[in-house]
Amino acid sequence: MNNKIKIEVDNLLSNVSVVRVALTSFISNEGLSLDEIMEIKTAVSEAVTNSIEHAYTEKENTVSITAKLFEIDNMHYISIVVQDYGKGIEDVELVTTPGYTTKPELEHAGMGFTIMETFMDEIIIDSELGKGTKITLTKKLNVKKTNNIVKGEINNE
Amino acid sequence: MKCEYDKDTESLKIELSEEIDMSTCKTLRNIMDGYIIKYSPKECVLDLEKVNFMDSSGLGLIMGRYNLIKMMNSKMTILNPGDYIKKILGMTELAKDVKII
Repeated sequence: MNNKIKIEVDNLLSNVSVVRVALTSFISNEGLSLDEIMEIKTAVSEAVTNSIEHAYTEKENTVSITAKLFEIDNMHYISIVVQDYGKGIEDVELVTTPGYTTKPELEHAGMGFTIMETFMDEIIIDSELGKGTKITLTKKLNVKKTNNIVKGEINNE
Repeated sequence: MKCEYDKDTESLKIELSEEIDMSTCKTLRNIMDGYIIKYSPKECVLDLEKVNFMDSSGLGLIMGRYNLIKMMNSKMTILNPGDYIKKILGMTELAKDVKII
């Protein structure tokens, strides 16, 4: 089913779980497997955490998340856009290198982009210095058709 | 989070039950390090059965504790990771050195 949700949150780390809960609820009726749901949640968690942790130095800035469910040729897809208006990424190739982190002292694993790439089918990174970063994550979904209609016999006495 | 120390085997078992992301990591890290330093165990077992969410922050948390355990010449075992957590663990070198059951 085509559907869309847009969420805007302040750049607080505690909002990452809020986004996960909203997203989980948004996709919960789509007949996805638990693994698929976890993979989508994890990828989005990475993107939102990046925006909150790295894009801004000041509080009360916005991260916006738009998730869209759509169909092309009977195939189901989800795309999630995570957008911030922060400092932007200087070297996209560098930050997407597995293990690269600007904050090793905080024990960041530097695996955020690797997880996004592994769990989603496509990731597009649009970033402009001083303007912000937009991450678009897309995944093909294995939607199970469920038939919720309970067929009973009609008694025509 | 629950912690159990077995004196006989010198094994520390840490059962994590939280959603592990960047906002919960710092507290978890302090508590886990507290227990690890207190007992200096020969083996540290992390039970992830009740963890229903973990992202790369959790990976950083586990890698950091593994480095601490390694400095003590001790071993680490990870118990009951869900399938997608196994995938995340498999992205790093960690999977080579840590027993994952």
